[in-house]
Amino acid sequence: MAQQGHMQAGSTAVLDEPVLGPGQNYETITESVAQIPLSSRTPLGWVFGFLIGLGGLMMLQMAIGWLLLRGVGIWGNNVPVGWAFDIINFVWWIGIGHAGTLISAILLLFKQQWRMSISRFAEAMTIFAVACAALFPLLHTGRPWLAAYWLFPYPNTMGLWPQFRSPLIWDVFAVSTYATVSVVFWIVGLIPDLATMRDRAVSKVKKHVFGVLALGWRGSARHWHRYEVATLILAGLSTPLVLSVHTVVSFDFAVSVLPGWHATIFPPYFVAGAIYSGFAMVLTLAIPIRAAYGLEHLITMKHIDNMAKVMLATALIVGYGYVMEAFFAWYSAAPYERYMMFNRMTGPYGWTYWLLIFVNIGLVQLLWLRSVRYNTKLLFVLSLIFNVGMWLERFVIIVTSLHRDFLPSSWDMYYPTRWDFMMFFGTIGLFLTLFFLFIRFVPMIAMFEVRTLLPEAKVHVDHGPTGGH
Amino acid sequence: MTTETYQAPDSVSGLQTKGIGTAVLGLLLTGAGFAMAGLDRFYEAYLVAYVFWVGVSLGSLALLMVHHLSGGAWGVVIRRPLEAATRTLPLMAVLFLPIVAGMGHLYHWTHADAVAADPIMQAKEAYLNAPFFLARQVFYFACWIVMATLLNRWSAEQDRTGDPALAVKMARLSGGGLLVFGLTVTFAAVDWTMSVNPHWFSTIWGMLYMVGQGLSALAFVIAVLVMLSTVPPLDRVVNASHLHDLGKLLFAFLMLWAYLSFSQFIIIYSANLAEEIPHYLVRSAGGWQWVGWSLVLLHFALPYGLLLARDTKRNFNRLRVIAMWVVVIRLLDYYWHVAPEFHTTGLSVTLVDVALPIALGGIFVAVFAAQLKGRPLLPLQDPGLAKALTHHTH
Repeated sequence: MAQQGHMQAGSTAVLDEPVLGPGQNYETITESVAQIPLSSRTPLGWVFGFLIGLGGLMMLQMAIGWLLLRGVGIWGNNVPVGWAFDIINFVWWIGIGHAGTLISAILLLFKQQWRMSISRFAEAMTIFAVACAALFPLLHTGRPWLAAYWLFPYPNTMGLWPQFRSPLIWDVFAVSTYATVSVVFWIVGLIPDLATMRDRAVSKVKKHVFGVLALGWRGSARHWHRYEVATLILAGLSTPLVLSVHTVVSFDFAVSVLPGWHATIFPPYFVAGAIYSGFAMVLTLAIPIRAAYGLEHLITMKHIDNMAKVMLATALIVGYGYVMEAFFAWYSAAPYERYMMFNRMTGPYGWTYWLLIFVNIGLVQLLWLRSVRYNTKLLFVLSLIFNVGMWLERFVIIVTSLHRDFLPSSWDMYYPTRWDFMMFFGTIGLFLTLFFLFIRFVPMIAMFEVRTLLPEAKVHVDHGPTGGH
Repeated sequence: MTTETYQAPDSVSGLQTKGIGTAVLGLLLTGAGFAMAGLDRFYEAYLVAYVFWVGVSLGSLALLMVHHLSGGAWGVVIRRPLEAATRTLPLMAVLFLPIVAGMGHLYHWTHADAVAADPIMQAKEAYLNAPFFLARQVFYFACWIVMATLLNRWSAEQDRTGDPALAVKMARLSGGGLLVFGLTVTFAAVDWTMSVNPHWFSTIWGMLYMVGQGLSALAFVIAVLVMLSTVPPLDRVVNASHLHDLGKLLFAFLMLWAYLSFSQFIIIYSANLAEEIPHYLVRSAGGWQWVGWSLVLLHFALPYGLLLARDTKRNFNRLRVIAMWVVVIRLLDYYWHVAPEFHTTGLSVTLVDVALPIALGGIFVAVFAAQLKGRPLLPLQDPGLAKALTHHTH
């Protein structure tokens, strides 16, 4: 109790808690971040982790190769469960990406300073997660090389157009916009740091490569001015994407007539779930990275604590969504709705539902405790479990709704095959590979932004009489 | 720190007098309207007016709890208006009694013969029955009044003692309190307006009410704050940066309201299910469609377009006009939720529909102003006060 009293000795005292460790200056911040990609020594842990990722990537290649040779029949999907791992994993990965966009766009507009040390790698996480996500619907089409005219409306001689009233085509637009804006935002945000890398690099090759990538950044006042304007515009463009992308993903289900999919709560509840799982993934990545690279002074306990609080808040919204689904399934008095919920709770997949409730409504309440939020080892384990919980959520929504729908004669079970699992774990391998490459070759913390947090970076201006003091 | 006491100016007493005058006028009009249209119309209009004004109290409670959790200058300057609005909740509990009296007129499921003839209502009888309905109302108001009372008591104590532990207590209560708020408001929304049509359901309804109430409350306190900022003592405190933050928050709430409303529409429209689509079929004909379009244009597009500009958010008068407009147009949203269910054949407005919101509004504002002037206009010992007084954004 005494500890808690100290923590919240005043709500603003908590807010004013520094987001940097003590004893930092321009040089220490730059050095601790820039030396990671510039060093010629690759840590053994990195090699080990990268090889795990690469192994997963090899498995993914095998799974995709076999899929293209044999077709989607190698998956467990079949009537009535025509949509399974492909869409579960798509939604899971897309959801994970959302934390990066929330951190880099919404928290920027809200002037939350704690976003600065985590935005770079959270954005990288977004891009890699979207890349993993996009594989699934593309491969589910069976012939991805023909997907261009199935997915994009281009004037073709066959007179073929996609179905504009289908949310799947909205998905194509939502996700491709999301990927484009995220990549542009990330690259623009990298430019000043790439110039720092160029200036600090000793080897000629590195100097040259970073120099080309820095696009001639010289740090002039005009550059900074344009940079600020560009960031603000990109943040403004990204902000609606945090809501819209997962809203459109939720429409994939909600605009159908299937009990368990058709629910008006889906858009906000999917968005909350996406942010929840995204922050879980940021913690999964941030906790080991800050320990391995000694970045505790930049990614402080305040960051970890704040992220845990965001997870708790969004998990409560997700839990609210589960309660609403269950209550309204009963309140609707529609026999199909009621049976869907009954089957979800007590049917053959009942254990997945209760496991999901245990994780996303039960276990997550631990985050109310400060001692849990400040225990990085426990939080790391929890963040992994929460991501499993969010994966289960999508499994429950998709499989339990489909496997027993209106017509009892066509009820059936769904079992994933080894190829389903290889695809899924393969994308985790792809994600890890990309992420390990990122932390080895790119400054993973926005040095120039974090430097502005130093007291010596503050400019004090007298606002004069209009200020209203 | 400061020795300033921030006593309420005379304009707050003036607001109280205006509220009483408005209430009298509204009640007179209600009497006339009642004589013209009868008891059914009275209860229908009362439900809309009540849900609208209780939304300001409840939204204030939610915003207050959000502020206790998040801190920030935006909340420090509106904390006292929010608290004053939450102290109207006991009054709101009393004002619920006419709805209890009118249950037979408002809720089809209270009629045993109607339930006996309708299998859907029978299937919901465990929830939609009069005793349980009343018990739930008692429970909701007990939760809300207890939370509001504790937060107000601790806030007064904080003014006197400045004990830092109080801020912790308020934050703690608010964490769990928002959870309680979310669930109680959801079920209250089901009880009050969704069950007017006992066949219809929509899982997003509760969230729509939470956001709608937050929007009403925020717009209301912004209008009050701008009024207070024209005279001492707050004229030296409230600056464009405070308004800018509040304007952005208002903008965000507007978008959230539009987002949730549109989500509900597109999902129900696309699926076109017999259980749900009547909600929009009734509302797309007989003149009701114009109410719907008015919501799109006047509740969303107009304030949204105006609030986009930075200058609007930093201009005291313009922001006040927009905030007051949002308060007024919120009424139309509740009207859209309730009235078409009673007049499925077409749009029908009578005098009570206008008179009752005015009457209840007058009562609400009078009690609100009386509460507001009872305490300093700023939380004197709020740990964020010093920072809020020198708040600047660009």
